[in-house]
Amino acid sequence: MLHVDRLTKSLPDGRVLLNGISFTVSRGEFVGILGASGAGKSLTLRCILGLTKADAGSARLVEPDGRSFELTSCTGRNQREARRRMGVIFQGFNLVKRLRVLDNVMIGRLAQIHPLRSWLYGFTDAEAEEAVQALRQVKMETYADRVTGSLSGGEMQRVAIARAIFQRPSLFLADEPIAALDPSNSLAIMKLLQPLSRTTPVLGVFHQPEMTARFCTRVIAIKRGAVVYDGAPGLSHAELEEIYGDELMQVLRPTPPAAPPAGSEPGPAVGLLLPNHPS
Amino acid sequence: MLVTEFHHLVRLAGEMLPPNVALLWRKPGLFETIGTTLAMTFLGTVTGCLLAFVLALVAARNTTLHPALRSATRLLFGLERATPNFVVLLVLFISFGYGPFAAMIALAIGSIGMFGKLFADAIEEVEAGPCEAVELVGAGRWQVIRYAVMPQVLPVVVGRSFYAFDVNLRAAIALGVYGGGGVGFELQLAMKVLRYADAFALILLIILLITGMERVSDAVRRRLLPQGVLK
Amino acid sequence: MSAALSIPTATARADRARRAWRIVLAATLMGALVVGSAILCRVDVVGFLPGLFQGLSVLRFFFPPDVGSLAEMVGPALVTLLLAAVATPFGVALSILFGLAGAANLSPAWLRAPARGVIAVERALPEIVVLLLLVAALGVGPFPGVVTLAIGSVGMLGRLFADAIEEIDARVIESVACVGASRWQVVRYAVLPEVMPSFLANAIFRFEINLRASVLLGAVGAGGIGLELQKAMALLEYERAMMAVLVTLALVFGAERISDFLRRRVLEKGGLR
Repeated sequence: MLHVDRLTKSLPDGRVLLNGISFTVSRGEFVGILGASGAGKSLTLRCILGLTKADAGSARLVEPDGRSFELTSCTGRNQREARRRMGVIFQGFNLVKRLRVLDNVMIGRLAQIHPLRSWLYGFTDAEAEEAVQALRQVKMETYADRVTGSLSGGEMQRVAIARAIFQRPSLFLADEPIAALDPSNSLAIMKLLQPLSRTTPVLGVFHQPEMTARFCTRVIAIKRGAVVYDGAPGLSHAELEEIYGDELMQVLRPTPPAAPPAGSEPGPAVGLLLPNHPS
Repeated sequence: MLVTEFHHLVRLAGEMLPPNVALLWRKPGLFETIGTTLAMTFLGTVTGCLLAFVLALVAARNTTLHPALRSATRLLFGLERATPNFVVLLVLFISFGYGPFAAMIALAIGSIGMFGKLFADAIEEVEAGPCEAVELVGAGRWQVIRYAVMPQVLPVVVGRSFYAFDVNLRAAIALGVYGGGGVGFELQLAMKVLRYADAFALILLIILLITGMERVSDAVRRRLLPQGVLK
Repeated sequence: MSAALSIPTATARADRARRAWRIVLAATLMGALVVGSAILCRVDVVGFLPGLFQGLSVLRFFFPPDVGSLAEMVGPALVTLLLAAVATPFGVALSILFGLAGAANLSPAWLRAPARGVIAVERALPEIVVLLLLVAALGVGPFPGVVTLAIGSVGMLGRLFADAIEEIDARVIESVACVGASRWQVVRYAVLPEVMPSFLANAIFRFEINLRASVLLGAVGAGGIGLELQKAMALLEYERAMMAVLVTLALVFGAERISDFLRRRVLEKGGLR
């Protein structure tokens, strides 16, 4: 369980970035955070991860066994303990390109093995087998021996998810995991994240309302540093307009059909309607 | 001046020809002096580049222990680069006496100044994303260095270290002339006692040594650098 | 569990075994080389620490530097600077000739092979060797130093120049040659403009190298601050030597800054116009 309570953050010049963000993520949930660019979505994640120091408020991770971590204030060893319980998936994948795929997955377990052993890449057979299982879960087990830098974007994001799975976290955090991918890869990644949430809650920042509507169990919308919506994933057009304002036309791109009927063309007219389409 | 003094050059050339190649098998211990030159180059490069890498971790913005330590190490690199290595050698002679040991340490110190900066710059250019990712799985500072930084910079570090070997070999011969031992010292000796034919043979040997070692280090580097070997 | 290993796990295990082997092999090889070198180098592990402390204790004789000798240092420092300043243009001029002669797309084979050969031999010859030869022929003094540095520049700049010319797009040369330009006109209007900025930047860098080298060569007989330093050390006048070191540091540091600045300008603006 993740409890975020009145997170506040402002710049030295007084501009308020986060203005009392509160929400809770609990078991079985797949929560998507929506919001216009600059609204504070990613910053909220960074505060939860302790990468940015919040001015006030708290974020607390409560383990199934009752242990709890104060994420905004813990440091050093405590912070590492907390971080190892959160599997993070990034927009830019953040894999070490010169290492093999399997090594990249193994990195997920670094905090859980003895530092001396990790220095020599000394993972056991059992751990390797488990890492391969994680790769199998994202359908990448045949790539285990490849150099990571030779993979495509969609493949790298799958490996990154395998790394997070192998970490055995009690919470998945995803920071715009599909923003750098094409529609069909985005869909595939969402389909991987959804089943994960059945056992471990997933909290993700997304840019596509139609994706969150389809896969998430709940949506939180942030506008100018405050939560303006927290509820069912399906948002009405009026609500989206309220959240995104002028940006609305950019985020409403067509969802690729789940099973495209044979012979159907993805209409080029759509591309013409959306001149600012960020590709 | 080169024109008016040209006859001196011709006289010297006359005295140097033919090179006393027989030196190679006549002179006892010649191969030992070559070995000494190579040994001080090798040890100086290895210790120098190892220390340079460790210090570079301190001198790079993204891996340093403290910003103040970073500037201090950078300053140290700058000072070492500005100090000619024979100055270092002269001071080291006081500590360790004349000979290859002092020369080897001088080479190591020289490598730290020159390659420490290069390594630190390479570390600062490492992709930040993977480092953040490794940090966020809960890994410690050393694990981040081992899993995110080292795989990215090791090819650069090893490649540059081979280059350092080439540079140090030339420097080792020069330091030999100043009293560091090895082939350089032998050459200086031959010149001093006016045995120019011997000197010419030694010069040919030096040329062979340097070009030969360049080939060898190139070959080893090419075998070592492909993806996946270094991590 | 070995029976139930999946294929990727088995590869991982094999890879681990291979890596272990490789580490053992590399470690043994390195160890043997290090030990062998240490013996040849007469590395004194026992004497290292005492030697270090002795060196550090001697270091205090270097302080305070003999500021009074600063006036006597200025002259030799200028000689060192002059040595590099005179040698570099000579070296650059020679490098241009050898570079043009060594470029495959400009010069005929009979000229190219010897030019490249001279450059290669030059590169393999440490400066100190050249200086020893010239001193033997011409006696001590700044003149052999200048010649040495000029020759040394050819080894580096000549090769860089020749390589840069060879990398020029052939069409650029052809287009100038097509309008009926002579060989020298091709060089003037097609080759030089293309390679000049990078060549100038390298030449400035070479000046920096020449300055360092001229300190070094000074000690062997070229004169200048290097000789001053060596004399002071030989006479155990450490405070005076320290002053010479400080002057050297100032000289080299200054040259590095200026050369950094100039090189950046040359590379950004495409020439010193």
